[in-house]
Amino acid sequence: MRKLPRMIAAALALALLLSVTGCGGSADGKTHLSFQIWDVFQRDGMQAMCDAYTAQHPDVVIDVQVTSWSEYWTKLEAAAESNTMPDIYWMHTDQILYYADFGILADLTDLYADEDPNYYANHFSDVSIANASGSDGRIYGVPKDKDNVVLVYNKEMFDAAGVAYPDDTWTWDDMMDASQKVYDATGKYGYLAYNDEQLGYWNFVYQNGGYILDENNVYAGYTNPATADAIKFYVGIQQNEWCPDQTYFTETSPGTAFFSEVGCMFLEGSWNLLAEMQNYPEMVGKWDIAPLPKCPNPASGDGRGTISNGLCYSTAAKGKQLEQVKDVLRFFGSEEGQRIQGESGAAIPAYLGLEETWSTAYESFDYMLDVGVCYDQFDYAVKYINNPSRRKWKPLVADEMVKIYKGEDIDSTLARMQEIADSYVTTE
Amino acid sequence: MNKTKLSAAARREENWGWFMVAPTIIGLVVLNLWPFVQTLYASFCEHLGFGHYKFIGLKNYVDMFGNTEFWKATWNTVYFCILTVPVGIVLALFVAMLLNAKVKFKGGFRTIFFLPLVCAPAAVAMVWRWIFNGEYGILNQMLGQKIQWITDPKTAVLAVAIVSVWSSVGYDAVLLLAGLQNIPKTLYEANSIDGAGKIRQFFTITLPMVSPTMFSVLIMRLMASMKIYDLIYMMADETNPALTDMQSLMYLFYRSSFVSGSRGYGSAIVIWTVGLILLVTLVQFMGQKKWVTYDI
Repeated sequence: MRKLPRMIAAALALALLLSVTGCGGSADGKTHLSFQIWDVFQRDGMQAMCDAYTAQHPDVVIDVQVTSWSEYWTKLEAAAESNTMPDIYWMHTDQILYYADFGILADLTDLYADEDPNYYANHFSDVSIANASGSDGRIYGVPKDKDNVVLVYNKEMFDAAGVAYPDDTWTWDDMMDASQKVYDATGKYGYLAYNDEQLGYWNFVYQNGGYILDENNVYAGYTNPATADAIKFYVGIQQNEWCPDQTYFTETSPGTAFFSEVGCMFLEGSWNLLAEMQNYPEMVGKWDIAPLPKCPNPASGDGRGTISNGLCYSTAAKGKQLEQVKDVLRFFGSEEGQRIQGESGAAIPAYLGLEETWSTAYESFDYMLDVGVCYDQFDYAVKYINNPSRRKWKPLVADEMVKIYKGEDIDSTLARMQEIADSYVTTE
Repeated sequence: MNKTKLSAAARREENWGWFMVAPTIIGLVVLNLWPFVQTLYASFCEHLGFGHYKFIGLKNYVDMFGNTEFWKATWNTVYFCILTVPVGIVLALFVAMLLNAKVKFKGGFRTIFFLPLVCAPAAVAMVWRWIFNGEYGILNQMLGQKIQWITDPKTAVLAVAIVSVWSSVGYDAVLLLAGLQNIPKTLYEANSIDGAGKIRQFFTITLPMVSPTMFSVLIMRLMASMKIYDLIYMMADETNPALTDMQSLMYLFYRSSFVSGSRGYGSAIVIWTVGLILLVTLVQFMGQKKWVTYDI
């Protein structure tokens, strides 16, 4: 009688153990790989790419899993700690240095060594390679895509105000004038300038010849006069009657305002355009995209600039099926793999020369978006801003930005932002 | 309990007892106690990344106590408790008494008041966010005002407090209702024969008799309010100008630990919050002698 509890406990423990180990092996004798991404709109494209690979390698099964952006990094970090990372996953520029510098990611510099020792340099832009590199200059991800920021505008409102559509001759002044005219003619908001880095003031800073991080990605440039002037200009846009203030944007994103036809222009990332074409079918044909307006009197440079980021495919250094995964990654970075991604409309392929495959996906709509703008802008694209300590100072600097919008003195707040970012510079 | 020698049968029974509570105890130790110990340790460390910690002594605490944002968050949390707990409990008692009275569709009303608890907090917060929306929100439409509920530092905490009270009042009312129903009817009868009015009855019978339940509700509500996080997370945004005026300790912890990756500093905030809750609860247990009636 007294032994009974122990026997029950032992039986339960055994059952639990068996069920745990049961997950490990695969019944069909194939190699199962997991592939983690965060954008549900790219799932079909990723699946198509995996299908092309598994068609050539019937002994491999790739399972594409989507985790929302907000949970993605918490989950991935926990997986890295317990050594249970997915076999392949998307890596973002915000995070790659943290993962790569800690030795979590497999070094993929020699992935194509047999095929072409200069494979990366031959097929990917410097910006793409930089976005996939660790602090040591080694490559920790196969470049996946590249993007940049464009100006989205509402054609009907331009027509109503009798203003010509934006083109590549446009400057900041033209954008301000057009906003005023649209507001006067229709009562709708003009350019929706909200508190954002990549889709906001960063672009203006680089157009004006300023910088957020110096060319070595070490010291910040918030107090640089060109940077400060651009930020002042950008923040000041909200003083106009045709631009809502930051409290408005906290509750209503510029995209929401634009597609509910209360605003006329906003900056958008190329990666969102396809989803917006699909999500707002009644708006198709009413809007288009244009290059970012240039700075009319830059402190240096030609006044052009657009922030360009790119994702890459990474895998864990301690991955159990590393050789198999590397073969898959080699395919993901090949012309064929990148072409499938492009044609699915998922994103602009990082592979040079394949950019325009991305247009295919837009041809299915009644109105052809001027996607050529995205390709042309790569000529003066600025690499996404990042350094190893940015993940620590990013939220702190963002807090200071909020204070600027609340009306605190810009110069002294920028000085604080400079101090915060520079306080993480190690003297080693 | 008397310490007497247990018979073999009694000992066997005791073993069974242990066996039956083992899942709970093991769960508590593994899921609550052990993480607490780890958090305590982490609060003296710097998180280097991916679960690697370096011991740095009291630096996190020194940094924390010297940070104005931290004190602001502490005040926000206390302020939030002041706003929600008394109002919430008085409202809950009021609702419980209404539900205890002879009204039609009592079951229906009880369900309605309990409903907010069944809804996912995230969904509740999203709906309220739209209600509070400064431009298009229904609340402003009804008031004919243009109050920026969520983005104005003056009203931001108030807005979160309203949602919090709204979603907790039903649950507290159900608990208090159970307490009310345990009051013997004879007490009221005897009391009214003595000629006492309704208001006098409330203060001499209802309140003392329901005070033990109220005490439990008070402790639970206060703990929950001090740990407020989900509503703020859902209703505020990183770019909300009122964020520093509404962020609670737990929200600050989330931002430190998971947005900035400073888990050591975040752990220190957690330990501070645990200390605060402990203190407040202790004070309540000492204070209960003054107002909680366990027998008449």
